[in-house]
Amino acid sequence: MAKDKLKQFIVSRFMLGQSPNSLDDSISLVNAGIIDSTGIMELVGFLEEEFQVRMDDTELVPENLDSINNIMTYLQNKGMAGGQPFA
Amino acid sequence: MEFTRDVLHLDAEAECARISRFLHREVVEHYRRQGVVVGLSGGVDSALIAALSVRTFGAGRVQGVLLPEKESNPISEPLAREQAAKLGIGVERVDLTPVLSTLGVYERKDRIIGGLCPDYDPTVDKTKISLPPGLLERPAMNVFSLTVQKPDGSARSFRLGAREFQAIEAAQNMKTRSRMIQLYAYAERLHYVVCGTTNKSEADQGFFVKYGDGGVDIEPLAHLYKTQIFQLARHVGVIEGILNRPPSPDTWSGCVGDEEFYFRMPFETLDVLLYAWNNGVPKSEASDALGLAPEQVDRAYTDFHSKAKATWHLRTMPVTIDQVG
Repeated sequence: MAKDKLKQFIVSRFMLGQSPNSLDDSISLVNAGIIDSTGIMELVGFLEEEFQVRMDDTELVPENLDSINNIMTYLQNKGMAGGQPFA
Repeated sequence: MEFTRDVLHLDAEAECARISRFLHREVVEHYRRQGVVVGLSGGVDSALIAALSVRTFGAGRVQGVLLPEKESNPISEPLAREQAAKLGIGVERVDLTPVLSTLGVYERKDRIIGGLCPDYDPTVDKTKISLPPGLLERPAMNVFSLTVQKPDGSARSFRLGAREFQAIEAAQNMKTRSRMIQLYAYAERLHYVVCGTTNKSEADQGFFVKYGDGGVDIEPLAHLYKTQIFQLARHVGVIEGILNRPPSPDTWSGCVGDEEFYFRMPFETLDVLLYAWNNGVPKSEASDALGLAPEQVDRAYTDFHSKAKATWHLRTMPVTIDQVG
């Protein structure tokens, strides 16, 4: 469910007209041109609001943000505040 | 050609002559204008092109324009005037503060900043935005932060969200677009062209404003990396105050250089890496030639790609359905 929300956000904001199924979980979002620098700021805002996490400046690195898989690993490592289930 | 750290070294006189030929051809033969208008920022790019324009057309056909506003660095105008005096060119001054106030530039920006920093006092505090430093040292993503500097020297930084950044950028870009309006007002009255001052490091990476400093008739420096600009500037005798001044956008009341604001590494390193990326130099070769770790080159190339891709629209003309003209 968390991954679905994440992919839906990315597709609706940055891949207009495409299906979440078309988004490869392992692809680099920056290198693929899906998300640019302003998009990263939007993504961070979405993650903090939707998943109740506070991203420290030191955590704003490709390892945590540059692919669906990376983001999900980061969220899982941070835990999920707010009682929202991971799926 | 083998890629080395010295790949950007120029034959300065030959390059100046080449730019001069370009200026003459474009202004006289192509545009059929009488001279050039140059916005003098007190920075090295405008100082260089003013000097080369004087070389090409003579001082009487080069109009310098100073465009300060209340958040400009106080050192900018005296440096620009000193350089203009050395060249013997005429200088006009237009204070943009009133028009920027009418446009709501300061009010819009202050409202956003006040929302982030409740004790922000626009009458005495200085502000700037910046990207994480040290691109080669650590893999931080391009997320802007706002810094509020108090008169006592203390400072606080706030990470910008997308909406805040876009609103601030939209307000600030009105500054450079307002400069463009004034430069064209002079150019059209004098039947001159507006001469751009964007260099290749800026053009390639989208460090200019569409129809702001990108709204010009000719760009005679856009093939030169920043370090090459400095090389030529030393050759033509640009004043020491400008040569020693760190490049800056000069659109924020707080002192922020180009490196801190956008490029995240010194120009001496950025330019050779950008050249390598532009010319398809393999990362391993760039790594060996520059004494950098492979992951550092990878980080730089990724950043270049990201910024170039994000700013492609700045380098295009308006798109039409059918060809026009």
